[in-house]
Amino acid sequence: MSSAATTHRGAAGYLLHAALLVAFGGLVLGVTRVAPETHGSLWTIAAIGFLLLAGTLMSELLAPLGLPHLTGYLLAGIVSGPYVLRLVDEHTVKTLSPVNTLALSLIALAGGAELDLATVRKGVRSLAWATVVHCVFVLVAVTGIFFAAARFLLPFTRSLAPAALLAVSLLWGALSVTRSPSATLGILSQTRASGPLATFTLAFVMTSDIVVVVLLSLVMSIARPLVEPSATFALDSLQTLGHNLFGSVALGTTLGLVIAAYLLLVERQMLVVLLVLGFGVSTVVEYLKFDSLLTFMVAGFIVRNLSSQGHKFLRYIEQTGTVVYVIFFATAGADLNVPLLRTLGPVALILASSRTAVTWIGGRLAGRLAGDPPVLRKWAWSGLVSQAGLALGLSAIIAREFPSFGVQFRALAIAAVAINEMVGPILFKLALDRSGETSRVQAPSFPSMIPPPPT
Amino acid sequence: MSAVLLLMGLLVLSYLGNLLVARRAASGMGLPSGVEYVALGFVLGPHALALVGADSVQSFEPIVQVALGWLSFARGLDFGIAGERRVRGSSLALATLGSIITAGAVASATWFVVGRLHTGLTGTDRVLLAGGLGAACSETTRHAVRWVVDRHGAEGPLANRMNEIAHADAAFPLLVLAVLFAMDPARGIATPMPLRDWPIATIVLGSAIGAGAALLLRGEMELEDTWAVLFGVSLIAVGMATRLGVPTLTLCFFMGIAMSVASRHRKELREIVMPTERPVLLPALLLAGARIEFHAAATLAWIAAATIAARVVAKVVFGWTLAIASPSVRKGGPLLGLSLMSSGALSISIGLAFALRFPGAVGDTVLAVAAVLATVGEFVGPGRLRRALTGAGEIKDLQAPGEATA
Repeated sequence: MSSAATTHRGAAGYLLHAALLVAFGGLVLGVTRVAPETHGSLWTIAAIGFLLLAGTLMSELLAPLGLPHLTGYLLAGIVSGPYVLRLVDEHTVKTLSPVNTLALSLIALAGGAELDLATVRKGVRSLAWATVVHCVFVLVAVTGIFFAAARFLLPFTRSLAPAALLAVSLLWGALSVTRSPSATLGILSQTRASGPLATFTLAFVMTSDIVVVVLLSLVMSIARPLVEPSATFALDSLQTLGHNLFGSVALGTTLGLVIAAYLLLVERQMLVVLLVLGFGVSTVVEYLKFDSLLTFMVAGFIVRNLSSQGHKFLRYIEQTGTVVYVIFFATAGADLNVPLLRTLGPVALILASSRTAVTWIGGRLAGRLAGDPPVLRKWAWSGLVSQAGLALGLSAIIAREFPSFGVQFRALAIAAVAINEMVGPILFKLALDRSGETSRVQAPSFPSMIPPPPT
Repeated sequence: MSAVLLLMGLLVLSYLGNLLVARRAASGMGLPSGVEYVALGFVLGPHALALVGADSVQSFEPIVQVALGWLSFARGLDFGIAGERRVRGSSLALATLGSIITAGAVASATWFVVGRLHTGLTGTDRVLLAGGLGAACSETTRHAVRWVVDRHGAEGPLANRMNEIAHADAAFPLLVLAVLFAMDPARGIATPMPLRDWPIATIVLGSAIGAGAALLLRGEMELEDTWAVLFGVSLIAVGMATRLGVPTLTLCFFMGIAMSVASRHRKELREIVMPTERPVLLPALLLAGARIEFHAAATLAWIAAATIAARVVAKVVFGWTLAIASPSVRKGGPLLGLSLMSSGALSISIGLAFALRFPGAVGDTVLAVAAVLATVGEFVGPGRLRRALTGAGEIKDLQAPGEATA
């Protein structure tokens, strides 16, 4: 079932777009053959352009199959990336990090602005139970599965002492609790879904970010003495974390009030304002070592709930964000380590499947405990399968903090996240379609659109 | 100044540009050539106050290339269209003739002066410099003509003709640019081509990308996807041009023309693309200013003087040609051609493209002279045009701008 928000075209239209996608790919490939030398980072420009074009077209071509746009963006990135056609090389993927910064800030702003306090209050019981179950139950269950299966599946764990293996399993369990706010927002933005499932998933995924960061910090404190017996259990990192979290909330609140005032009093050139937020404020947040996702999420939340500008703000982010999201997810696709996935694929698939199964059980359990409506009991788990940047970022931290097994652990995490990154959005969109929450409202289309206001 | 601060500054400029468009104040605020932003860039740049370092300016090259490509694409999309109407064939021919006369005169003068000055340039460099200055100095910025016409509410055959000419004179300098870039092909080209094939390849590539984009946009598409296609193909075009060493300006210009010709939604495309021109232009002008270097002041002064003189003569001659070809403009007086002295975005863009492609004496000189010429044009062009339009009875009274536009 395809999204109603998708503009429908005939078979000839799809064929034409497929042919043009191949033609543009051929053109880019041809140029790389005619001029094998790149001049500095200028080829990055073409790479961004191709990712944008290929992502947009691929998402359209996959839409009739019921696949989300996000899958199209990821596939476009994988195909164009350094491991398949090599139209976009590894260096280019790395130089695109400013686009990722911008995308993440917009995603967090949008995520916060989508959270309506009244609606969240109504679902607070569901959220509370889900947080408890999906954090505690998933953590314990995935840790147990990893601990039981590791010695059979993962050679690097065979030399570990039981305590160390427990530590690795705990870290894997903590990593499994992470979700993908970007994937959730990407799907909701495409489908314009509304209803209990969309609201619950968004609220849970956005708020669980804070829980996950705290949880991982705690798990790392527990894991360290298990891996290195000479180390002692210390909660110093939690103090720093607390400082960062409070700082992020304070900065986000201020930012939200400033944005609301700007929207109320000026409301002009929002594209430029969002770029300033994405690049400038992100730099400040990074300098202060605050959590950028939390800062922007709080800012969006404040705009939505402490002013009447929330809907306007969301519309502006959507207008700006779509193009940025395509590049962001296509870059994520290009960054997927395909050879690693090929090597670790079977093991990663088993671990990712077990996480999905545990998430499904957790969803049913939380739904029953909270007395959720049937739609949530049945589908609440579907939006919690996706993993992306947050999981990869945390795996990098784990690799750095635990060098004795960090490299292998991270490789496995990358492979498992790749699978979840591909499968999760498909599951979530399927659930939204099946639960009838996907919007039937047609998006403004070209050429019959009203000329955009100068933003 | 760090790159982030510079980026913030550029975004603020873009904000201002957007404000001008939003308030439709382009006709009443700021200078039509935008040369004040070039001056600001120069003052802040590494060769004056050094608040923006050379490294920062260098690191913004990709952004400059994208800005140049987008501006040129917009220009191609709008080429030969003045307001809502397509320009007459005669105006197109006259505009091209004007470009040829001016470019020829400026290039000849530069060639002569450079030969006299013993600059030590090689033969190829001398051709590049003369040709580059010819290309950079041949335009009349359409913003200046529109600025005067809108500001004073001018209406009549002279205003129409001048407006049409200013909207149709970009093709020749951009073709010259393609030829000049071909004289020094990019390093590491696996399939060498003769000089004459490079300009053709540039045009074909740009046209093919534009036609492809027009095909992609022929049906209904979500607005965001339309933007994605437009940005996507533009970035691909810019990236390809830089990799092949062909001019981004020419390739994107022909991409815009092809899209305008091949797309049935050309009007809608213009409606969504044209408002972005000013917000992109101002940061580009600032970065161009930051790159200006008057390192060979004595030589540069002579070259600039020769260029200005040649351009004045060429424009006057073109004015006479115009009067012969189009009797309706004779009321503009014998110095009508000076009304077309204003240069701006295209000149500076060509100068900037040269500075990026041929760093050193050639590129720096073309950019610096283009900026000087835009400044001179600012003093001469709008005033002469206003006088010509008043003489032709197409401006009723010289009212204050606010009254005229009210």
